[in-house]
Amino acid sequence: MTRSEGKAEVEWSLAELAEETGCPPRTIRFYIAKGLLRGPTKAGRGASYGQEHVCRINEIRNWQDKGLTLTEIVRKLAGDEPSKIIEVPTAWWSYQLQSDVTVQVRADASPWRLRQIQRALKDLSNRLTQPTTKENRNDDKQ
Amino acid sequence: MTTSNEQPVFAAIDSTTGRAIELALQELWVAGRVLPVGAALQVRHVFKCAEPKTVEVVYAFGLPRDAALRSFRIVGDGFSAMSELKPAADAVKLYEAGIEAGSLSSLARQYQDGVVNLSVGNVRPGETVAVYLDVLAGVELRDDGLRFRFPFTLAPTYHAKARTIEAEPGVGEMELPEDFGDVILPRWMENAAGLHRVGFELTIALPQAVAEIGSPSHAVKVRHDGGHHRVSLAPEKDVPDRDLVLDVHTQDPLSGVMGGIGKDGQGHFALVLPSSAFGQAESGPRRIVFVVDRSGSMQGVAMAQARQAVEACLGALSVQDSFGVVAFSDHVDCLEQQLMDGSLRNRDAARKFLEAVEALGGTDLAAGFLAAAKLLGQDGGDVLVLTDGQVSGTETILAQARATGIRIHCLGIGSASQDRFLTLLARETGGVSSFLTARERVDMAAVELFASVGRPLARGIGIETVGGQEVSFAPAPPPAIFAGTPLMLFGESSGHTAARVRLLWEGSDGKRQLDVPVQLAESGDAETVGLLQGSRLITDMEARLDATPVEGTAVGREADRQARALERLSAKYGLASRAMSLVAVVKRKGDKAGDVPKTVVVPVGMPQDTTFAAYFRKGTPPGQVAHYKYMFRESTRGVGSVQKLCAMRVESRGLCENGFLQRSKATGNTDDFLLLLASRIGPDGGMPVNNDEEDRWVATAITLLCFLSQGHTTKSGAFRPHVGKLIAYLKAAPSMASDERKRRLMELAEKGPVLSGNWMNHAHTLVEKGQCDAQQFWKEASLAMRLLRAV
Repeated sequence: MTRSEGKAEVEWSLAELAEETGCPPRTIRFYIAKGLLRGPTKAGRGASYGQEHVCRINEIRNWQDKGLTLTEIVRKLAGDEPSKIIEVPTAWWSYQLQSDVTVQVRADASPWRLRQIQRALKDLSNRLTQPTTKENRNDDKQ
Repeated sequence: MTTSNEQPVFAAIDSTTGRAIELALQELWVAGRVLPVGAALQVRHVFKCAEPKTVEVVYAFGLPRDAALRSFRIVGDGFSAMSELKPAADAVKLYEAGIEAGSLSSLARQYQDGVVNLSVGNVRPGETVAVYLDVLAGVELRDDGLRFRFPFTLAPTYHAKARTIEAEPGVGEMELPEDFGDVILPRWMENAAGLHRVGFELTIALPQAVAEIGSPSHAVKVRHDGGHHRVSLAPEKDVPDRDLVLDVHTQDPLSGVMGGIGKDGQGHFALVLPSSAFGQAESGPRRIVFVVDRSGSMQGVAMAQARQAVEACLGALSVQDSFGVVAFSDHVDCLEQQLMDGSLRNRDAARKFLEAVEALGGTDLAAGFLAAAKLLGQDGGDVLVLTDGQVSGTETILAQARATGIRIHCLGIGSASQDRFLTLLARETGGVSSFLTARERVDMAAVELFASVGRPLARGIGIETVGGQEVSFAPAPPPAIFAGTPLMLFGESSGHTAARVRLLWEGSDGKRQLDVPVQLAESGDAETVGLLQGSRLITDMEARLDATPVEGTAVGREADRQARALERLSAKYGLASRAMSLVAVVKRKGDKAGDVPKTVVVPVGMPQDTTFAAYFRKGTPPGQVAHYKYMFRESTRGVGSVQKLCAMRVESRGLCENGFLQRSKATGNTDDFLLLLASRIGPDGGMPVNNDEEDRWVATAITLLCFLSQGHTTKSGAFRPHVGKLIAYLKAAPSMASDERKRRLMELAEKGPVLSGNWMNHAHTLVEKGQCDAQQFWKEASLAMRLLRAV
């Protein structure tokens, strides 16, 4: 479990979230796939989950105790509280191009789209590492 | 307008996007060998990821009877890995660590009720992965062969706290409460077309000559191959909406010792003795309660046949016998609050009670047999349960059944297997069981089971080694042997054995014993027989696990002890169980740690002949079922209202005697007609025509000759108690002493060949007009007897 720098936000790994909520990791993934739960706030090796995941899992349990199926809970979220509709995708890749530039990309984009984005990011990364030229400075002025 | 060729084809749909998705499970293929004492199977699951990201596929299936998972091999492009057997918690940790690391991970974990989740995670986009799962499974052994059953689908089940919904048109979802752990159940498709393909190719390896191989569930091809028979699916492929059921009949009764010395140098064998080796059944009055499942899932033919079966069974009862009838769904109704004698008046009341029974609501099986146990009281007796057995939380039900101390015999009905549970329910209470598909004749099977279970052939069975090396048997022999079901014992020895095993039992004529030689030599089947013994022991132990222990309590500590014992047993035989799971993690180049695969649950077909709406009623609040219950309860308050209800329902189901007779005449179905005759037999064994003794004798003789002409005698056929009762009536008639024709007729009926004649026509006249032509009967009977004498 980690605390984000300068914030009170708690971050858990999937295993920690499972331990915190008593909800097995596979069930958490199942909830994510069903659109009941947002994916990790960060994708990749440092994938993490926050307090909102804990709250949502507890909410799901309460609704289940009242006899609702997961599908009914999804509908309830969609119908009763539109703001809480979980959009697919639920996870994001985080690309740190420079120490001062981070780009987030939807993790479930199609492979061709991901390749296109990665090429663009590579270009951007290259441009950010290039020394400042007269042309760049003119661009900045415009 | 649609035609029959334009039925909608269902396809897997992503519930969050509504988009059609490619099937995550492409194929399920069963191969292996079926032996007289069980089967060694390899089930191939072909998974494919058609998603743009990695997926975790979850496939849920039910274990067959006495089954356990041995291992699996996961195979893909450039890799092949074997599973490891680990304590369940460790296996889950390994699996999760593999998923976290982005590696291809697979876990086969067993939950309550024998439900298994096979999870395969991190299948990459476009990748195809096959899992070859080795499974040991039991068979339903009979004196004259066996029935093998393999589940291609999983039946939805009843549980008081289960949550169900029709998620989309024709798509059902079911979730079990938290007590059941993180088990994931499939989605049920009302139409299985478009789901993964299923198929099989099995080798039948029996020591006895095979008379017939058939399947009531699938079209099969049978090939002879080196002394064995290979059975495969006749069409190219099929859909997952019913179990595979194979029937194998042998020319001679299954008997002898199977197995031998394995590679481990140990003896692993199974001893099979047909029930005929245990002599004749005991005599004496019967005490029996029929427990009929009237849950919604029994709607249709199954319910109609169950009613018919009970009516026919009652025909075999006399006034010395006692019976009760219980109908259960999520509530219970009894014919009476005490047992009744088998008089005509009581049987008529039972018939009316059954006619008023409608299939609605859930399946509270325990409530059904608990009501039966109350009826039987301290004097005990038998319970014959007719059910589809589609329930969850079976371990709790088994504990309740054991506590009653009554003997429960089960006739299961259904296209998707609850065979495992009903086998255990019967075995754990000392009874026997049989499981039919919904397309088979339930009524005839019920009458057959009724004939077998009334009085055991043997009780108090003991085993001892009387010569040669010591052998051990586990599990212990059953408490009683019933006609038609052989004794099967698994044994072990420490090496080459030439021993004599002595079986001791209490038969109808006192204490008896039989010595059986056990000579073991090297055998390729030894290992399989040993594993089958293990899977049987594991299944028995799982049946006795406490379903919902509470940590820290005495019950919880006992549950811990049981779990450790199960873990040791699993480890001894190298088989998975609820305590031990199978896991494999394949590390590959390009694994992306931390990626969350998308969970895809494999859908299955709604079991054939099971009404979708019985489980997944669209938007049906629990109150609607309660409304029906209320109606039924209201209707049973007064006799008049019951009769009114009957009048309406008899017409709709066409099962009243006249309708039934018309059906049997129209279809020429002899069994239908015999069932009707059986239900008409009076408590004294005579046919009720009028008060004239001579007419009754002739009517009874006609009925007897009908049964005999169809192969039913006092020793064989489903109607053997009925035949015995008819003969007893005829022989006890005062006119027998003075009538030579009658004595001769009875002599032939009991011992001789079947008398030829139009007995069925006579019987139809008897049923339709309530009278018989005695003169014509004796004319034909005398001619038949003269012809026989001439021969």
